[in-house]
Amino acid sequence: MKKYNIILMLLFIALSLSINYKVSALVEPTNEFYVNDYANILSEETENYILNNSVKLASATKAQIVVVTVKNLEGQDIETYATNLFRKFGIGDEKKNNGLLILLALEERDIRIEVGYGLEGIVTDGLSGRYLDDYFVPYLKEDKWDEGIKNGYSAFLLLLCEKYNVNIDNINVVQAYSDDDVSDKAMLIAIFTGLVYGFVSNKNKNGKEKNPTLIAIIMIPTNLLIIYLTIKNFSGLNIFPSIALCIMAEIVMSIIGSVIKELIVYWNTPRKRILSNGGYYGGSRSTGSSSGYSGGYSSGSSFHGGGGSSGGGGASRHF
Amino acid sequence: MKKSLVVLIVIVAILAIIGIGIGMSYNEIVTLKEDISNEYSNIDVQLERRADLIPNLVNTVKGYVEHEEKTIEMITSARENLLKANTVDEKAKANEDLDNALNALMVVVENYPDLKANENFINLQDELAGTENRISTARRDYNETVKSYNTKIQKFPTNIIAKIFNFEKETYFEVEESKTENPTVDFS
Repeated sequence: MKKYNIILMLLFIALSLSINYKVSALVEPTNEFYVNDYANILSEETENYILNNSVKLASATKAQIVVVTVKNLEGQDIETYATNLFRKFGIGDEKKNNGLLILLALEERDIRIEVGYGLEGIVTDGLSGRYLDDYFVPYLKEDKWDEGIKNGYSAFLLLLCEKYNVNIDNINVVQAYSDDDVSDKAMLIAIFTGLVYGFVSNKNKNGKEKNPTLIAIIMIPTNLLIIYLTIKNFSGLNIFPSIALCIMAEIVMSIIGSVIKELIVYWNTPRKRILSNGGYYGGSRSTGSSSGYSGGYSSGSSFHGGGGSSGGGGASRHF
Repeated sequence: MKKSLVVLIVIVAILAIIGIGIGMSYNEIVTLKEDISNEYSNIDVQLERRADLIPNLVNTVKGYVEHEEKTIEMITSARENLLKANTVDEKAKANEDLDNALNALMVVVENYPDLKANENFINLQDELAGTENRISTARRDYNETVKSYNTKIQKFPTNIIAKIFNFEKETYFEVEESKTENPTVDFS
């Protein structure tokens, strides 16, 4: 009889446990608490990075940033799951409620930022959405989990550090991910500048600019503007390719500009002169352009030299 | 010791236990009731926030879409109803109507890629989605407390105390089944 009772009791315990499991269906916090990689997609390095920085932030401000990755959401929607998880973990200070949860579900390919009441003023929903779009999603789309999480985490860390006025060393440079990182405005200005340059540039036989001041007045401010716009748009390592693209556009446009100029000259002058002019720019395209230009660009000393790259000038000597 | 004194002590003790019991259950019920009104006001705050976001959304959308007056009108009137609603039921209903109207708008928005890419619009959409999620969380919390409160005042022995002090059942903030259905959009 006793044996029977024990079996019954065990059965009962097992049953209640299984019911419990079904009801909660949430992951448990790990010992690290700040980083819980149940989907196993983060590198050791990233985990340590998150752990170290979250600990620092928490000790300075009591704000807690927690990263959780799960294989799946067990049929729940991510909003409910995140809220429940947030409460279960008890993220953030009890009174300040300043917790932030980054939850990624691998199978569903969902990610959510869940924010404690106390942080809602700083991390508004709109901002969360924007950060997701800018810092997480582009990487995650390409299955770059580790990078996406690390980058997005850094973005939020940086934001909180700024708002709480604390300094944490070695936060990785946060980088908005972008496939085409050329600022539209910078590109437009580059195109326009190139065109104007090609049009205005007028070189003598030695390849020297006949009117360097005019060229400088056109080229220096516009190119500075291009650099400024590019930097303003992209805070990361992608600046250089995008500036290079602007330069190329400028070069191409200056060639086109000089061609247009020559055509106008062609229509407005007697035949004899034009024949020589025809050759004049034929060569220009092939020589001098890119090297001369970028040299001038990087040193900043001579925008004329850079201008020399473009269409009109140098070619005349070829003939 | 006299026998009657012992009886008296026993009776007093029983009465005291009953009194304490009544007091404790009463306190429990009051606490639950307080929680309910607290959570109800949470819902209210979020509903108001949602209503506040709508005019902004409508203005942004108006700049892009044409010939969608019906959808916009639907949203505006749903918002007004939400602000006018007083009881739990009215609020739940108005909120649901607003849900449907907004869903209809989101279907329309699919046809306007420029609007979808508009930063302001994306921001508003996030704010709205966040608010909606907060509403549903607040609603869940509220309903859970209402449930334990309602169960408590119906169960023995607390039901007696509830009767004595006239505690009544609270209403759930309920969403009807139709919420899960897709909204029908009239393109005519």
